[in-house]
Amino acid sequence: MENGRGRSGEAGYSWLYHAPTPRGGLRVLIVLLVIGLAGGFLVWYVRSGNDASPDSPIGLIYASIGTMLLLLALTLYSLHRRSHRQRVLGGLRASLGWHMALAIMGLAFLAMHSFGELNPRTGTYALYGMLALVISGLLGRLLDRLVPRMMATEVHQALTAQGDDRIETISQKLQAIVVHNTQSIRGFAAPDEKRNPPGNSLVPLSPQRALTWRDKTLHTPWDLAYISLEPTPQELSRENGQLRFISDKKSDFLRPGALLPGTAEEIDELEVVREAMRRELFYRYVTRYWRRFHILLALVTLGLLIWHIVYALQLMLVPMLH
Amino acid sequence: MFKNKLGQRAVRLHKTGPQVMQEVHACIGCNECLLACPALGEPLTIDVLNRETLGGPISRPVAQFARACYQCGACVAPCPVGLHRDAMMMWLKVRLLRAGWGE
Repeated sequence: MENGRGRSGEAGYSWLYHAPTPRGGLRVLIVLLVIGLAGGFLVWYVRSGNDASPDSPIGLIYASIGTMLLLLALTLYSLHRRSHRQRVLGGLRASLGWHMALAIMGLAFLAMHSFGELNPRTGTYALYGMLALVISGLLGRLLDRLVPRMMATEVHQALTAQGDDRIETISQKLQAIVVHNTQSIRGFAAPDEKRNPPGNSLVPLSPQRALTWRDKTLHTPWDLAYISLEPTPQELSRENGQLRFISDKKSDFLRPGALLPGTAEEIDELEVVREAMRRELFYRYVTRYWRRFHILLALVTLGLLIWHIVYALQLMLVPMLH
Repeated sequence: MFKNKLGQRAVRLHKTGPQVMQEVHACIGCNECLLACPALGEPLTIDVLNRETLGGPISRPVAQFARACYQCGACVAPCPVGLHRDAMMMWLKVRLLRAGWGE
């Protein structure tokens, strides 16, 4: 039972959450009573030395009751879900509860009908099918309890505290960092934007190009023959300082605030959120396909049951006709 | 849920808080989603559910319903205005989870 109640209302979502209802308790009591009475009568019947075989009168009565309960379990809930008449709030949950109760009682009656004879015949296959169906239903209910809780944990990771999409928030942060850093690099590397376009600011300049953009500061004399085209050592040193990205004590990139850190962390966070969303999607598929698997198993079990009934009728009717 | 190009019913992921708020405001209160719900244990009015989905304290019946909801999506198809009650319930679940962690 969940007891997480604070001043601001209910809080918490525990794994072992359980909210019993009076109707649910009554259903469990009925199931236990019916199975107990049927089992008790069967024990008394066998100990009294009566015919303890599946095709005995009691065996056939148990088979009929089990089949009827199984068919009711198969049809009632499906019909109620699809029906649009006389619907009440909470009615479907009660119907689901009866669906499970009828299936468990049906399995119990069919198991008692077998009298422990589990030969490789049609009836045994039908019983195994019924057993698998009930187990798959119970496992499905367990998944229904656990998987939404797991999904909520993943959604919590994918949303911010305000409920916004975290991928979008992280992307915006990343974009801001990239824009800031790109502007820092451009502002740093390009003294003359017109002659040295931003796209080329990271490319080392050739001596010829260097001369081209330097000609604004070093006025070209009328006689070029007296000027060396090679850059001077001072010029080379200045250029290297501008274009080098290796850690340098004098580099402007080491100036506090020159480049925003955190790109790698944001990308890691983005990956975490994407993983959470993938898991959420996986959990959604698990619940959806488990339900389909249960329906498929119900159809297979129904087929096995019909096969067994036809086989049993043949066994009973053929001697009567002859 | 919606049909993709292959005609199969695809699975939708969660919705964000603002999207959920938008859907709550678009709800016409017809109760069709609650009538189709196999997880609803005790009667609950849609206006209380909508109000508590939007914010504020979560009452015991709404919290129990939110925890019991198993995201089957049965509430989506009957909605006459095409809202996703399952996404609203997921939002309530996340709120409960965060409140339990003291966030």
